[in-house]
Amino acid sequence: MTEKRSYRRLESTKELQRVMTRYYGMSNYFRYWGKPLGRKLAWVTSGAPVELLRVFKIHPVYPEQYGAICGSRKVSGELCQVAEAQGYNQDLCSYARAHIGSILRPDLAPMKGLPKPDLLVACTNICGTVLKWYEALARILQVPLIVIDTPYQPGEVTPQAKQYVLRQLEAAVVELERVTGVRFNEKKLDTIAEKSRQVTTLWREIKDLCAAKPSPLNAPDLFIHMAPIVVLRGTDTGVKYYSLLKKEVEQRVQEGVGALEQEKVRLVWDNIAIWPHLFKFFKMFTERGACFVADTYTGGWAMDFSEGNTMETLATTYTEVFLNRSAQYRARQIIDQIRQFDADGFVMHSNRS
Amino acid sequence: MTRSAVEQLVETASLTGREIMERYPDRQFFGFTCSYWPEELVLAAGMEPLRLFPVNTRAMPPELPSFSCSLARGVLAELKGTGLKKLAGLGQAQTCDTMQCLGSIAQGAFPEQVLELVPPVLLAAPGAREYYHEELKALWQKLLGLSGEAAKEENIAAALNIFQRMRQLVRQVDEMRPRLPSPLVASLLRAGQLMPRQEYVTLLEEAVTALAGYEETGTGKIGILLSGPVLEKDSLYLMIEELGGRVLVDDTCTGTRHYAEDPAEEAGAGRAGSVEGLLEQVARRHLTMPLCPCRHRRLEERSEYLQSQARERGVRGAILVVRKYCEPHAFDAVPVAKALQQQGIKALVLELEGADVGGQERTRLQAFLESLG
Repeated sequence: MTEKRSYRRLESTKELQRVMTRYYGMSNYFRYWGKPLGRKLAWVTSGAPVELLRVFKIHPVYPEQYGAICGSRKVSGELCQVAEAQGYNQDLCSYARAHIGSILRPDLAPMKGLPKPDLLVACTNICGTVLKWYEALARILQVPLIVIDTPYQPGEVTPQAKQYVLRQLEAAVVELERVTGVRFNEKKLDTIAEKSRQVTTLWREIKDLCAAKPSPLNAPDLFIHMAPIVVLRGTDTGVKYYSLLKKEVEQRVQEGVGALEQEKVRLVWDNIAIWPHLFKFFKMFTERGACFVADTYTGGWAMDFSEGNTMETLATTYTEVFLNRSAQYRARQIIDQIRQFDADGFVMHSNRS
Repeated sequence: MTRSAVEQLVETASLTGREIMERYPDRQFFGFTCSYWPEELVLAAGMEPLRLFPVNTRAMPPELPSFSCSLARGVLAELKGTGLKKLAGLGQAQTCDTMQCLGSIAQGAFPEQVLELVPPVLLAAPGAREYYHEELKALWQKLLGLSGEAAKEENIAAALNIFQRMRQLVRQVDEMRPRLPSPLVASLLRAGQLMPRQEYVTLLEEAVTALAGYEETGTGKIGILLSGPVLEKDSLYLMIEELGGRVLVDDTCTGTRHYAEDPAEEAGAGRAGSVEGLLEQVARRHLTMPLCPCRHRRLEERSEYLQSQARERGVRGAILVVRKYCEPHAFDAVPVAKALQQQGIKALVLELEGADVGGQERTRLQAFLESLG
């Protein structure tokens, strides 16, 4: 039985489904179209500078997003047990365990697992777990692993951190040239990075529209519609999709239409979504007129691409993401959101991931 | 009656941070939690480095979720108490996500006194050495600011000499592992992370010559490789000995790995007495020392290193300790156990809440050691 949702559904959701179905279709059938064209497929962390990969026509696939899919399809438990049987401790991140389980037992996994990669690309800006997770993947799959170390920034982003990340990006280019046999094209990177800038700007503008009263979106909307910002940065499809979504959200604001039938309380959500119970969980709030008008998690991809040399911009942008910052920085971010969105309170989700 | 150097070191190793500070009231102590914290810089800046261990591994400070490791919870509880209020500061070298958060949270207990250092995760990455040098340079200035001291060449040279001698002595002790009781060696090494370093070196010089009196031969002990995180007590070492084992390789954060230095690197140490020489020395050591699971140089380097250590020391079994909720060690336990087993060395992954062991661990260890025959 379909669960009744207590808030208005966005028309753009249909397009979202089409875009994401096409993306996963392209991923799953990569061997039929990508391989004949000599393309490579990479498994990539959600915070990796994917723009570089696109220059080399590498098709990026995101195990973290797949972990969320496993959660929402309620198969994580079984897949985690597969990984645990191989020695992976049950306290390890469930995204990692579920994903490792899906490699070992694709028959239990959504879409029979992700298509096998030619290389792995991990960027440490989202957590320390990804280094260990991708090391495990490299051992299991025996494919090259590229790690970009974006040093944690307790205060302001330091010049030495930017320079260090830049040096690694330059080295990654050399490795990608080796893996793909394709020469690096800086102009192409500029074009792709510009599309990323457009996508992330659109996403930030969409989120900012929630300052309106009533808020045109609720956190579950943001969690669902963040999927393309993760997998389609640097693409025309991403720009097109978020332009469409922004238009619809703007229309809601103009017409005074809120995400909820009646918004009584405005809240800020901190941390990852509860994927297996996304609607059921937020229903507790929506039934009481509580709308999550902002969140920290989806803001991770509302990056501000600075001007200047593209490689330097990528180094800075991917180092200064909020997940790579101190608790003080993140607390200030929540306080700023509470003020900007005129929220009445916030909910902190303590997550074992 | 005067206690021997060995007795003094063993007794010191059992003290808490608070007790150490009370014993040396005229010293200015600076706390740290990780082996990647540059103790040399602390000493050269006129302070005494003091490694902080949890006293109560069941402590549950509300700032940290209950699913944080007992090292982070216990250290935070200590920092919030009154015993460590006289610390000149706290140094947090970035390791894992939990300890990273601890640095932020500790700012609340020690405003303006928490210094965070972020060593590269990829120790051999392009630009890592230059980046780390700049990080250390910035840290050095902050340490001088905390201690109120000016940079003095003689202090820098003295600090480098103390740590160089300390590591040489520890290597000697490490070579004697096959003949020395494991808890004794663990204590001797842990004392060097607690007490003032010059006093430690003086006592260890004396202790090394006296250790012959503690040597046991022909015991028939089963050689063990022990790998894992911080072990702030000797319980596990004691239990291994009681059950017929002996730790021949100690790859814990508080064991030999903490002191590791390539003798060739050490011989090539830079300009003694200069700040640049000091920073170069620290950077070189940290970038080349045996890997902890939080760092990366080459995919299989850590497994291969432990395989070679096991081969050189002739161990028969490996105990891989995972501190509950420690993600880096838990991840690494899988490939390390596999690599050792491929070499014919049985491996036991032992999850511990802290450094204490009890009845359950005794049963598992006994069965494991019996299986090694």
